Amino acid sequence: MDFVTMNILESSMVSLCKEMGIVLMKTSYSTIFNEALDFTCGLADMNGDMIAVADYCPAQIGGMPLLVKSCLKEIPIDEIEEGDVILHNDPYRGGLHTPEHTFFKPIFVDGEIMGFAVAIGHIAEVGGMAPGGFCGEATEIFQEGLRIPPVKIKKRGKDNIEVWKLLLANVRTPRVNYGDLRALIAAVDLGEKQMTQIYKKYGKEKIKETVNDLLLYSERRMRAELEAIPDGIYAFSDTIESDGIDAERTYTVAVEVHKRGGEIIVDYHGSSPQASGPINATLGVATSAAYNAVLHMTDPTIPRNSGCFRPIRVMAPPGTIVNVDFPAPEVGGNTETHPRIVGTILGAMAPAIPNRVMAAEGATHCNFVFGGVDADTGEYFACYDLEAVGWGGRAFADGNDGVDSINGNCRITPVEVYETRFPWRIESLAFNVDAGGAGEFRGGVGYSKQMLCLNDEIICSQMTDRHLLAPWGLNGGTEGGVGATLVMKNGREDWQTMREAYGKASTSRYSNVSIRRGDRVRLVTPGGGGYGEPAKRDPAAVAEDVREGYVSKAAAQKHYGYQEA
Amino acid sequence: MKFSLNGLYIESYTKCANCGVLIYEASAEDSARKKVHDGSIYCSQECVDWKLDRDARRAKAAV
Amino acid sequence: MPDRKIIGIDIGGTFTDFVSYDAATGTIENWKNLTTPSEPIEGVLQGLGQVDDVASVDKIRLGTTIATNALLTRRGAKVAYVTTSGFRDVPFIQRGDRRSHYDITWIKTKPLMKRADTYEIGGRFSAKGELVTALDEAAVRELAATIKADGTIEAIAVCTLFSYIDPSHEQRIRDILAEELPGMPISISYEVLPKWKEYDRASTTIADAYLKPIVSDNFHRMQKRLDAIGIGDRIGVIKSNGGESTLKGAAEAPVQMTLSGPTGAVVATRVLSELTGIKNLVTFDMGGTSTDCSTVVDGMEHVTTSFEIEWGLPIQIPMIDIHTIGAGGGSIAWIDKGGMLRMGPQSAGAAPGPACYGRGGENATVTDANVVLGRINPNYFLGGKMKLDAEAAHRAVKRIADQLGLEVDAAAFAMVQIANNNMLGALRAVLLQRGLDPRDFSLVASGGAGPVHICDLMDISGIPQGIVPNYPGQFSAFGFIMTDARVDRHRTVQQISKYFDGARATAAMTELVDGAIAELVSQGYQQKVEIYRSIEARYFGQNHELELSFPANQFTEETIASLWERFHEEHQNRFGFSIPGETIETVNLKVVAVAVSEKPQMRELEKGEGTPASSGSRKVRFEDGWHEVKTYDRGTFKQGQTVAGPAIVEENASVTILQPKQTLRVDRLGNLIISA
Repeated sequence: MDFVTMNILESSMVSLCKEMGIVLMKTSYSTIFNEALDFTCGLADMNGDMIAVADYCPAQIGGMPLLVKSCLKEIPIDEIEEGDVILHNDPYRGGLHTPEHTFFKPIFVDGEIMGFAVAIGHIAEVGGMAPGGFCGEATEIFQEGLRIPPVKIKKRGKDNIEVWKLLLANVRTPRVNYGDLRALIAAVDLGEKQMTQIYKKYGKEKIKETVNDLLLYSERRMRAELEAIPDGIYAFSDTIESDGIDAERTYTVAVEVHKRGGEIIVDYHGSSPQASGPINATLGVATSAAYNAVLHMTDPTIPRNSGCFRPIRVMAPPGTIVNVDFPAPEVGGNTETHPRIVGTILGAMAPAIPNRVMAAEGATHCNFVFGGVDADTGEYFACYDLEAVGWGGRAFADGNDGVDSINGNCRITPVEVYETRFPWRIESLAFNVDAGGAGEFRGGVGYSKQMLCLNDEIICSQMTDRHLLAPWGLNGGTEGGVGATLVMKNGREDWQTMREAYGKASTSRYSNVSIRRGDRVRLVTPGGGGYGEPAKRDPAAVAEDVREGYVSKAAAQKHYGYQEA
Repeated sequence: MKFSLNGLYIESYTKCANCGVLIYEASAEDSARKKVHDGSIYCSQECVDWKLDRDARRAKAAV
Repeated sequence: MPDRKIIGIDIGGTFTDFVSYDAATGTIENWKNLTTPSEPIEGVLQGLGQVDDVASVDKIRLGTTIATNALLTRRGAKVAYVTTSGFRDVPFIQRGDRRSHYDITWIKTKPLMKRADTYEIGGRFSAKGELVTALDEAAVRELAATIKADGTIEAIAVCTLFSYIDPSHEQRIRDILAEELPGMPISISYEVLPKWKEYDRASTTIADAYLKPIVSDNFHRMQKRLDAIGIGDRIGVIKSNGGESTLKGAAEAPVQMTLSGPTGAVVATRVLSELTGIKNLVTFDMGGTSTDCSTVVDGMEHVTTSFEIEWGLPIQIPMIDIHTIGAGGGSIAWIDKGGMLRMGPQSAGAAPGPACYGRGGENATVTDANVVLGRINPNYFLGGKMKLDAEAAHRAVKRIADQLGLEVDAAAFAMVQIANNNMLGALRAVLLQRGLDPRDFSLVASGGAGPVHICDLMDISGIPQGIVPNYPGQFSAFGFIMTDARVDRHRTVQQISKYFDGARATAAMTELVDGAIAELVSQGYQQKVEIYRSIEARYFGQNHELELSFPANQFTEETIASLWERFHEEHQNRFGFSIPGETIETVNLKVVAVAVSEKPQMRELEKGEGTPASSGSRKVRFEDGWHEVKTYDRGTFKQGQTVAGPAIVEENASVTILQPKQTLRVDRLGNLIISA
């Protein structure tokens, strides 16, 4: 292996992927792109294997190889021409969930196709029954937005106008969508242009050979990491509280992790049959989640490409909550069920590698989405927005307070940006005291965001979790605080759940609630579970938490026997 | 997974009963690997074996 | 009267560099001595001891790391944070993202103050600037009493929502606190950074308050020592924007001192651009532990507002955009778990240093590899002041070579290639990631190690021309003698092209310009002030802006129309597409005010021709193997002479390695211009 060329090529390709991401961030319109950075840019070889990635959003990493591969099964490679850009979002053809749009552009060198530049991004508004793409009460994928099979949005460098027209006729915010789609195309354009130069510089054969070595190198390092984990079959399960349709039913995510030698097999048999509501994960999500969990347990410096996923296998039985069958709804699988799967795998592995896991984190993105017609401008607005949660405690440190759930790495939108863009006034943004599970290392806390509606009407939907079933603690740590979504209608003085106020089946998943001027909404995000026996917690850490207001005196007395000095 | 004759839409989705991957009818590679066991379709013999192992292991655990 | 005698002083971690200019003789001198980390002024005074008649010096400009170190080591003040009711947790919640994916060991960055020291005050403006709730003045007075009773608070930071639109609440809070707590340092966000996004603004304001007592004490002590030798009234310090400020001015806004010393190399590069007429330059300042890169485009430094003290703690004041990576001469070679050779970021630093320093370092570093490859002369390091142990370098590199199954020279060559590639990452960050094409640039090497690697970097980056300026080892201090007093002011004023109110924009721009000029005048800068205006704009809906220059305070129909037209063009150039007819939003107005000082005149070299006489030769390993390479003494060069590669040019604090096929030309001022 030519390690020097490999090192240089790998860093050049990752740098290029980052540059694609910067173009996307700088030119896109939706806050989910340009503030939250919910996208991923990468490069694939002509088999669809991922060879380099700038994974701004980890939820998408496992999706990328699957996505390109499934598209290539439908569009034969000899029908792809120079200058084409292919667009795809279909969750039932290798996609993650409907809002996630994948663009890829072939890289041609001397008339020969060498690979693809790929960008995956979350488009905030995708049509369907509720503005913002997250309809908590959908029962079919058709209600969740426009499904796009692999189509050419550009052909030989020219816009495919008919496709554009179809796309933009089916969404509520065509101006914004146009900007976001243009940004995604600009990203793959840049990737294609610069990767072509890299091919020309080193030569096609040298790159093929080096990329092959690079994938082998990542695979070898991943196997070495896995070999260091004790062999065994590790099982764990967790429960999702509701699907938004049937209030009484709960859903099990079950994993059996087979660790043998340099391989790991994640078997989901035993997970619940698929739900009627949109909490189902696609195979892409179940695969991504397994990769994500394994990446958290292993050395984060391994170059991320298809090679490091070769030792990982996923068995996701069809017709279950982890591999939904057509045409059930699935939008929440990517944001909610994904982190739940990761947490379940980490929970399973806790006895084997206690230093590489954490107690349950909040495991939701809150996903409070809304839309309406702005009373001042008359323009339709739509927003997908997310919130941070508490991390679980770890064997060596407390859980972090207020951090995006484990499958995203998205930034929350600043209050001043939010209020400038949308007709809400945010009245407070404050940590939830005592919401971190107690333990030798406590869980992180979530926060509460309270908002006042300033428009005649805003249509709101949500897809969140952990309102009823709290994040679990580990090795004696206690549960983290639950989340909530509450509404105080104009003229009332009490807070109600969405179930109480609007008769919704679930408090955490619902669609198309009409929030009126003067109504208030409060989003409470869950905390993380604690790790280890609370009695073992360092008294100085308890005192510091009380002083800093993360733990009340009463709770400190109860869990830690705290005495005021 | 089976497409309509005109190639414009999907007629049916076929997944491996064990690991859940899509099995494309038009793919020679997929067809060559796929196995039918007990009336269910599997992507490969490996998945049939895995299922049998799991059933045996779980039956043993139940006893 | 113009300054006749100027001294630039850069206080670094190991050395304090001095460059002096005497207009009477036209001479420039440079020297260095060891820094005294506990009290940097000692090293400065020691170095000034070498100047014949210190009292005759007209101007001394200092680059200082006081603020940088206080932030990095967290030795600032105990700050109380005051904000709008409901929002005390903003500095703790931050943006909710994490430093890297997949790292379960990560611990979230803590802000510079305690949550127990945060206070909320009633009073609110809307996003449109309407008053929603009046300021609760009684609560401010109560807060003052609490802080007084507490007795431990050393500074106060105030940041309220939408203060960039209406600062009246922040100003009133400050006035009340100042009245109740006389002498308490107070920073308000409107004055520190009147831009939107509350977390970034709060973080910057907190950093300012955090630095106030320590910077002020330090400057006060420094002032006394300099007064004692009669030059206290002639001191300027270098701010993060590369411009000069008085000690007093800097102590009032210490966050402006976050990045001081390294800006000198960029200012020096801008001057180099003026002197050589080369418009686009990229700096490559390579030292022992880190490498700094930055750009000068069309003769202007690039200014950024996205600096972070550590991950997640932004300081958004305008500063010269310097991208620093942990790769330098001391970067250590290691083999990762998969058998791949890696360089750094661990560094051998100054102690023990590379193996060849003979101070007990065992690890193979970039410098050791350079010695093995014959690129650095072990007998002429730092102009012969330090002898290197070539055997030790060889032994250290051999340990790496054995693990890789390579010959020692091949391993050394691989080490240099990988280090070069790491530094290429920094060049990409300041060029390609900003949409700049390397082919339009010249690479300027400085720092002790920059000239050693300049030709390698030209080769792999596609930058066609390189420059090794005079005094590459003291380039920052040289920049200080060439700089001006400078104030950068930004303000968020959002408007969209559909309903653009020219009068509102004119008023805001006028206020910014007047404020910047007033700041310079209040610090005693009397000379002519040059103003540069620009506007940050984007398509309405986007969230990141493009910067466009703007000609005047007044927004007229023509200048507004031209602004929109230029925006579409610039978007096309930068991102490869534009959206004709789309609504454009202006976000920030930016003003740079420069009180221009008279610049030292550079002396031309004597004219010469042909190739200078060689001083000898030695063996150097290039990609295609070993070459017997001629050496030259830079001190003998005459203007217009050329040298064909491969060649080695030696000078006091550095050495330039010219590759085969490259040529070097000496320009009229003695800069070495290298072409590929």
